[in-house]
Amino acid sequence: MKAFSYKLAGSTDEAIGTGTQSAFIAGGTNLVDLMKIDVMEPKELVDINQLPMRGVTIDNGVLRIGALEKMAYVAEQPEVVQNFPVISQALLKSASAQLRNMASIGGNLMQRTRCAYFRDVLMPCNKRVAESGCPAFAGENRMHAILGASNACCATHPSDLAVALVALDASINLQGPKGTRSIKLEDFYLLPEDNPGREHAIEPGELITGVTVPHTNWYRRSAYLKIRDRESYEFAICSAAVALDMDGLNIRDARIAAGGVGTKPWRLPEIAQALIGKRVSQETFEQAAEIAAKGARPLSQNGFKLTLLKRTLTRALVHVGGGVA
Amino acid sequence: MNNVGQSIDRVDGKLKVTGRARYSGDRSLPGLCYGYLLQSSIAKGKIQSMDVSAAKSSPGVIAIFTPFNPLKIYSPAQAGEEGMISGDMIPLLQDPTVDYFGQTIGFVVAETFEQARDAARLVKTEYQAQPAIVELQAGLGQAYAPKSVSGMGATVSILSDGVTSIDEALRSAQVLVSATYNNPIEHHNPMEPHAATAVWNGDQLTIYDATQWVQGQQRNLAAVLGVDEANVRVLCPFVGGAFGCKGSMWMHSPLTAAAARRLNRPVKTVLTREQMYTGVGHRPSVRQTVTLGATEQGELTVVKHEVFSSSSRVKFFAEAAAHRTSLALYKSPNILVTHEIVPLDFAPGTFMRAPGVAPGMFALESAMDELAVKLGVDPVELRLRNYATVDPVHKLPWSSKHLDECYRVGADKFGWSRRNPEPKSNRDGDWLVGHGMATALYPAHRSYAEVKVRFQSDGNVSVSAATHDLGTGMYTVLAIVASEALGIPVERIWPVLGDSGLTPAPVAGGSQSTASVSPAVVAAADSATKKLISLAVSSTKSPFSGMKVSDVSYANGVLQAGGKSVSFESVLSGLDRSAVEGSGTASPGEEEHKYGFLSFGAQFCEVRVNEWTAEARVTRFTSVMDVGTVVNQKTARSQVIGGIVFGIGMGLLEATKVDPNSGWIANRNLAEYLVPTNADVPHIDVEFLNIPDITFNSLGVRGIGEIGIAGVPAAIANAIFNATGTRVRDLPITPESLLVEQKGMA
Repeated sequence: MKAFSYKLAGSTDEAIGTGTQSAFIAGGTNLVDLMKIDVMEPKELVDINQLPMRGVTIDNGVLRIGALEKMAYVAEQPEVVQNFPVISQALLKSASAQLRNMASIGGNLMQRTRCAYFRDVLMPCNKRVAESGCPAFAGENRMHAILGASNACCATHPSDLAVALVALDASINLQGPKGTRSIKLEDFYLLPEDNPGREHAIEPGELITGVTVPHTNWYRRSAYLKIRDRESYEFAICSAAVALDMDGLNIRDARIAAGGVGTKPWRLPEIAQALIGKRVSQETFEQAAEIAAKGARPLSQNGFKLTLLKRTLTRALVHVGGGVA
Repeated sequence: MNNVGQSIDRVDGKLKVTGRARYSGDRSLPGLCYGYLLQSSIAKGKIQSMDVSAAKSSPGVIAIFTPFNPLKIYSPAQAGEEGMISGDMIPLLQDPTVDYFGQTIGFVVAETFEQARDAARLVKTEYQAQPAIVELQAGLGQAYAPKSVSGMGATVSILSDGVTSIDEALRSAQVLVSATYNNPIEHHNPMEPHAATAVWNGDQLTIYDATQWVQGQQRNLAAVLGVDEANVRVLCPFVGGAFGCKGSMWMHSPLTAAAARRLNRPVKTVLTREQMYTGVGHRPSVRQTVTLGATEQGELTVVKHEVFSSSSRVKFFAEAAAHRTSLALYKSPNILVTHEIVPLDFAPGTFMRAPGVAPGMFALESAMDELAVKLGVDPVELRLRNYATVDPVHKLPWSSKHLDECYRVGADKFGWSRRNPEPKSNRDGDWLVGHGMATALYPAHRSYAEVKVRFQSDGNVSVSAATHDLGTGMYTVLAIVASEALGIPVERIWPVLGDSGLTPAPVAGGSQSTASVSPAVVAAADSATKKLISLAVSSTKSPFSGMKVSDVSYANGVLQAGGKSVSFESVLSGLDRSAVEGSGTASPGEEEHKYGFLSFGAQFCEVRVNEWTAEARVTRFTSVMDVGTVVNQKTARSQVIGGIVFGIGMGLLEATKVDPNSGWIANRNLAEYLVPTNADVPHIDVEFLNIPDITFNSLGVRGIGEIGIAGVPAAIANAIFNATGTRVRDLPITPESLLVEQKGMA
């Protein structure tokens, strides 16, 4: 770990507008980890834990989650559990109980990839050091992305929560020197293209203040399915966030996204589109899930993710929508 | 005092849960400074230069040792004394050759750990790299047969009369199965990292070192440091898990001691988790082909077991997967085992829990399941039809074998008779449910041990030897055995261990400690009692003064004679003696040549595989063990449960991922090297037959440290076959191996 200075921000105004050498710290579960292994080397930490970015409320047709709320707290709120089971489940399947007690919602959405090459300064990594190369394409890439990769980077985005939020068309609220703004979370995450070091549409000094999710009654019919090598404390090899709006046995609308397979949380509007107006059945879901792997580019060790992605989506849809005789 | 076989809390448990048990890295000494290993970032080549200027001027740095500024360390190979095991055989820091990724190439000493670590990162190393072979598959072309494997030849062949070759035997087999099984490299990952704290007092070295063998470490350190063995004292009262990776000397220990000597200050080195992936051994990767020939009735006629195991080019180690399994388990008129070493430009391997046996039993017991399927015979029944009543190699009888009882009790407890042998016949919602079983075995070892038992005037009794408690429960075993031998409550027995200055005891490896040390405890208790009586009759101030030794009896801490009954502490106090001590020894005898000694067990499990997404989860486990006398039900059960959890990891999760191009290890941490979490471990039902093996030693004890893992990966793979109809022969069994083959599964 490199030496750094520390500042406790007394107000949001004091926090925002800090320089490019600074990093905000809330729970610190990812940032401190990365600082210890020299992958992130901020000169200054700005502690935002005393800022008023709190609260979990449903109001005027939206769910608002303050950026500083802890993952464990949000997952357990009755209004989240009842109205947005996909969000609660995605949180509870993340990390470990200890980490969920520390990690904030804003920090969760900013967490960095688990790509082993990214996380070891001995190795080249285009995301960490521009144009230094990417050994993952010819090396260890089982956990890597089959969707959204460029020639520069195939690292997956690790957040479960982000997958659920992207599925539900959530927006992220930002406050910076130039004022406040809100953008769709899906647009907040950037594809690696030829600059994998830039992961978010966030400007220097901007602070995540919260997340907004449209509140629709039918999001009650939603779920997060996470497939992982072990049952706890492990990232997804594939995950699915699904919500279905049902009229009897007919599908009126759907929200679908996948995790563990994309360089960013992967929204799948084409599948949702393909389901609208259909009657639930295993066959319907299997056919729709076929679309998911469109354009996928498997690597040497993760070709199985093509099949796994379709199966994960189908299993999640059957779980939420029924349709198995 | 009927303590042996009861369920007794760990006598050191309270110290551990209250943080008062001090481990090797917990020692703080006046003037202590900290060492940090600098490891190579290439797999093969030469160091051209190391620029240490920035590191040297970094805050708190005291010294930086490199091949260009070495500490004198003698080569362990040259030092080679009998009984010496050294994990590293190259004298580190003595020349600029790099033989593997993560090799120690420097040692930084600073005032704090953080300063040493920071400085290590400032060292700029230039290499001249050469191409390296870092994976078993890539090195097969260089495979060679070693001189010996597990004390035998690389090839061992048993042919029945008139059969001239194993191939001839195979040609006449009515039924054949043959398949190849692969294990990746696995790492021990004990909770406690390796740590050494060294302090010199003149020419006397005291080192607090995390080790499974204090006296071996003492000998090894003396040899590589060039000092007299008597001048080295190794202390290790507590070990936070070891599993074999603390059984050898690894280079951080002598570097720490040599730096402390050079700097004239105590030095402490604690390895990071990352450093433990190349600095302290691993289980080699293994490729095995098992070919079984049988009659249509399921009697084995041929067992052929061919092994390739990886080994570092700089330190030979054979993972004896066939020699330790196929030469012991089944009755077959024709058996052939072969072993070849695949030399790699990779860090040295070493013993890891059930070395040889763990991978070997995966292959052999998977193959037996494949044969059972082919024959349509129940897997338990097939094993009973091939039950070996004598050791297949030496034709000696077993000292005590009740494996058939393990199968029967295990099958009953598990409900094996309700299993449907038809794959995919059992489902629960979208989970396919399968049941599988496998045999467990592990050789029973014992070695010479000497124990001291000391009656103290404070009413306590100390029992001591240079043995070890790796978390295995040895403190409690010493207390229980002494308590029973002396008739004194466990609370009044003070076990002492983990000090090279104590009487000899073997390495805590090979599951031998309890079997080696316990009989010596009994002998020492007897000797101490005799000394006590002799003292009591010979001292004029004693109430028993002048009586004949044969008139004085000892029971439950009390001497009795002539109507008098006096406790040992009163006798000692009356004589102004603080203690009286006896010592006893125990060692294997003639029986070694007359019997075969093995522990046995049967493993049964239920596994669920999701029919959509193919993740496998173990949901039920039953284990029945024939391990001789169980000294402490509680810690013994924990040992076997721990072994089974280890086996679940080996079966479904564990693999060290080596970058094929650089030898770099991708998952050198506990987030990405997966071991089971609580959520991956179901209720594990462990039963001991508890039949004493008195041919082996007077207490009838065999070892239990390793057998728990044996057979577990095979039982899981066999259950997965029963669930899905897919046979997976490569560990770990992850979703892709089931997804790929299971088209139309959903």
